Amino acid sequence: MKSFVFSDDQGLIPAIATLARGLGEFDAYTAGSASASLSRYGASKVFIFPEANLTDAIADLLSAKLVSGEYKYGFIASTVNGRDIAGLISAKANVNALAEISSFQDSQSSVRTKRFSFGGKSVLEEESNARIFTVAPGIADPKEVDHESQVEQIQLGPSKISVISSEDKKSGGVDIEKAQAIVSIGRGLGNKDKLSVIEPFASSINAVIAGSRPVCLDYHWLSEDRQVGLSGKKVRPKVYVALGISGQIQHIAGMRGSKIVIAINKDKSAPIFDECDYGIVGDMFQIVPKLVEELKK
Amino acid sequence: MGYNTIVLIKVIPDLEQIKADQNGSINTKNIPLRIETLSENSIEAAVQLREKHGGKVTGIIFGAQESIPIMKKAYAMGVDDGFVITGYQGNNPHLTATVLSKKIKSMPHDIIVMGNQSADSYTGLLPGMLAAALGYTLIGNAVSIVPVERKIRVKKFLESKNVDVEAPLPAVVSVAQEINEPRLPPVMQIMAAGRKQILTESVTPSQDNSVKVISNTAPKSERRKNIFEKPEEGIPAIAKVLKEELR
Repeated sequence: MKSFVFSDDQGLIPAIATLARGLGEFDAYTAGSASASLSRYGASKVFIFPEANLTDAIADLLSAKLVSGEYKYGFIASTVNGRDIAGLISAKANVNALAEISSFQDSQSSVRTKRFSFGGKSVLEEESNARIFTVAPGIADPKEVDHESQVEQIQLGPSKISVISSEDKKSGGVDIEKAQAIVSIGRGLGNKDKLSVIEPFASSINAVIAGSRPVCLDYHWLSEDRQVGLSGKKVRPKVYVALGISGQIQHIAGMRGSKIVIAINKDKSAPIFDECDYGIVGDMFQIVPKLVEELKK
Repeated sequence: MGYNTIVLIKVIPDLEQIKADQNGSINTKNIPLRIETLSENSIEAAVQLREKHGGKVTGIIFGAQESIPIMKKAYAMGVDDGFVITGYQGNNPHLTATVLSKKIKSMPHDIIVMGNQSADSYTGLLPGMLAAALGYTLIGNAVSIVPVERKIRVKKFLESKNVDVEAPLPAVVSVAQEINEPRLPPVMQIMAAGRKQILTESVTPSQDNSVKVISNTAPKSERRKNIFEKPEEGIPAIAKVLKEELR
């Protein structure tokens, strides 16, 4: 039994590859220029497509390999292109697909998976005959192996999609998914200028600054790539400090993997206090500078 | 002239009102229904296409009997014709894709617009399944849609890039929330929408037990919940934790 792993974001391959390796042999597929680290996660072969946006052609290739029996399961990173491809493969190959799984167990005749439902309010545990899965970040802790996979460039079949142009997103130049410490701000910040109160604190603990959906997408106090949440990045730092974040379930879904969660919020009844390890009820503008002083001691 | 746009409208339970009982079981019965946020963006995108290029906007809801009134909101926002297909049995994207593709094939269409993921299950699988069922190209997570003759040019938002792509029509386009700000319809339009006819039909989907739910419960928070109501106590305690964890 062999599986395949696909992610257009190469940074997500290590975790998914580690999951697939636990089930047996697997091949990994990605696009773009191959980074050296891709070959260190135990894939029998790493295949590189020239372009990730030709989702129809990628789905054609992978669904044919599922139908032919070359692969039993496909694990696909839950990215924009990954979800599109997973849906296409599922229908083309006529196999069931389950989305955003956070746990996977294989038995002889079925698989058992877990995923969030109702916007993160519940966890669905399911038993199914699904063969295609989109995978939530953090499904496994990436582990390298001591041999290198063979890397091969492969061409795609015909696509109806033409890529006209592509531009990198404006980014703050940080990858919050890799951060060890995150200071995350919510609407409670009030306005962008107040970031100056938060910055000394973040730098004192070597944290990157991230934010909730309104902060990044509605008010643009922070760049989009710093958004934590169900529709943003899923982060797993050692320490996650939530400042003025009420703790809507969609936000919690993006930071649930954090080791320690600290919350500061004026509202004693804010849901974030049910999802934190340590919390202070109070005004972040008073508390944060004092915390910086205390950390200097 | 113009383009026939079909907009797929999803009706979901109001997630804010979903609560777990003492045993952690999730109750979704008798929760008020609302239009999915991305469906509002989809309607807005479809109506803007008609405003700029002419043509017609048809809305389709696949839902329960209770979803029928939701179409009025779509009408108020500018949808020309609305169909509600009842018989939706919960999350089964394969079945949903089959039902929707049959309906779409029965009417004139150039562009099918839908949300890229829905806020309740967040599967994000339906756009691909529907495109495959229809045999059309899918362009995902669009933030702009511009038809040019028999093609469509779409800017799609990826995680680290924005990409412009082109595909032939008919096409399925899934939209991101950033595509637009859905309009708030004026009162006159809301009143007119209330009088407009909504066509309904029902399907009786065959039972599919290939995905069995073992449990559906609220995630347990195993956090310590050490909350300080006096900042003067909390500050030193938290500073200590930060120093220890980030040594």
